Amino acid sequence: MFEVIEHTADIGFRVRAATPAELFARAGEALMSLAFELDNVEPRQSCDLSATGWDWESLMVNWLSEVLFVLDAQRLLLRRFEVARISPEAIEARGYGEPCNPQRHRAKLVIKGVTYHQLAVEQRSEGWYAQVILDI
Amino acid sequence: MQLIALDEYRFRIPRDERRGMRTDVIIYASKELIEQIRKDQSLEQAMNVATLPGIVGHSLAMPDIHQGYGFPIGGVAATDIQDGVVSPGGVGFDINCGVRLVRTNLTRDEVRQRLREVVNQLFRDIPCGTGSEGPIRLSNAQLDQVLVEGARWAVRQGYGVERDAEFAEEGGGLPGADPDKVSAKAKERGRPQLGTVGSGNHFLEVQWVEQIHDEEAARALGLELNQVAVLIHCGSRALGHQVCTDYLAEMGVAMKRYNITLPDRQLACVPIQSPEGQAYLAAMRASANFAWANRQVIMHFLRGSLEKLFGKNVRVDLVYDVAHNIAKEEAHVVDGQKRRVLVHRKGATRAFPPGHREIPAAYRQIGQPVLIPGSMGTASWVLVGTERAMKETFGSVCHGAGRLMSRTAAKKGRNAREVQERLEQQGILVRSETRDGILEEVPEAYKNVDQVIEVVHAAGLARKVARLRPMAVIKG
Repeated sequence: MFEVIEHTADIGFRVRAATPAELFARAGEALMSLAFELDNVEPRQSCDLSATGWDWESLMVNWLSEVLFVLDAQRLLLRRFEVARISPEAIEARGYGEPCNPQRHRAKLVIKGVTYHQLAVEQRSEGWYAQVILDI
Repeated sequence: MQLIALDEYRFRIPRDERRGMRTDVIIYASKELIEQIRKDQSLEQAMNVATLPGIVGHSLAMPDIHQGYGFPIGGVAATDIQDGVVSPGGVGFDINCGVRLVRTNLTRDEVRQRLREVVNQLFRDIPCGTGSEGPIRLSNAQLDQVLVEGARWAVRQGYGVERDAEFAEEGGGLPGADPDKVSAKAKERGRPQLGTVGSGNHFLEVQWVEQIHDEEAARALGLELNQVAVLIHCGSRALGHQVCTDYLAEMGVAMKRYNITLPDRQLACVPIQSPEGQAYLAAMRASANFAWANRQVIMHFLRGSLEKLFGKNVRVDLVYDVAHNIAKEEAHVVDGQKRRVLVHRKGATRAFPPGHREIPAAYRQIGQPVLIPGSMGTASWVLVGTERAMKETFGSVCHGAGRLMSRTAAKKGRNAREVQERLEQQGILVRSETRDGILEEVPEAYKNVDQVIEVVHAAGLARKVARLRPMAVIKG
């Protein structure tokens, strides 16, 4: 689903998709699965998320920051996202998962933030592509 | 890239190396370290920093420099308080990540005999790891008080004694913090985390004083051979992370209004005197105060753990507490002129010289204590600041050993149990919430801390006082 990027102090990922909606959904899933082992996460609950930006890159950073906020503040593990509406200025989506239960869900990483470092969100001949570096 | 050796420990990248650079980059490194530094993008990042509007003096790189995002980690840059910019990337996500050194009246032998008990007690009493929550429940009003007062709030609530706050940088609390500039989201993320270490490279380490290099300074700091000390390394937790995220988003938009264009979006900045700049600084100070309160509360838990094991007579005193991710308004002499500047220290430690009024009176003769943690299983150092650092680096030095390997590379081909056993053979017990927590921080993932310290000492930026060796590490 995504490829992990090594970076001296941080970690990142690359995702590819046919549409921006799919790209942003996969990026959200990539962030969640770097933070937690998601194998045991059941889609028992849903959560609406939205973010705004002024271009695809800023939208990606703000979207993933929102995903991180849900994970960190609400302790909600979301393993799948459906994007309802998306433009370079705004995204509306729904995530599916369940509240974190330390007995069943193994934490992998604490993600501090989503960076603009080597960030790419672009349409290529073969489809949509994003690269994101996270501060950990 | 043109890299001019100025002397054995100083290198320069001239400003004409790339268009847009407003000043030179000065790198403090040995020949050996500079080869390691050249392998990642940290020098390009230091050159990007040299393009910041209003930068004063040079863009500075410490010997522990490594690639960060926007600013390199181990970078220092000062900007003019009137005409310069403030960049949240020059502070980082972990606002006031820092270290606190606590001395005890226990000897290495006393602790060694009960080391496993000590580690288990600390691990029970001090929350660390991914998603750890502390036992302190804060109301909105209490959290705002923490953000205004920092370590002094913790002391007032009984999490420490008066002396603890006095011996922290800024007395454990920066003035000018405004809780209203910290978003509800940041408060929600940070609220349960007061008194927690976190994960990643954050830790609590039990150490013993192995070498004294400066008797007089060591005496002033209350350090002697074979004495046990504890080093606490953590920051403002998710509260600071969210503040950085919030203001990066805001500044990305605002920058266009101020006609600022930069080679890297992560360097996003606005004029210090703009409403956005002032709001960020007020929120950053609040986050810094949260971090000081956090390290204070952790020290209080530590005190409790050691009293449980060694009785009420055990002494647990603060040596000093330094920030290594922060931006501070300071007065410096640049080219013979006294200037007010905002010093961004990103993975760098303040190192003020003897006599400076911001140093606690008990240490004023020797200079500000500088605390440099090494990697797990190597050594940490205590140094003191010098006049030369004041002249050349806005009173700043390095902050650690500096990473060499990515976390993924550190994990490759290694087994957590083997690493733990190897460290145990060296007399170091490690207890971590996760296996990855141990593997990602293996000693070989870092530069040699002694080489880094040698550079700052030989370059005259700080003087060696003591070298401490670890006995036990607890981490996330």
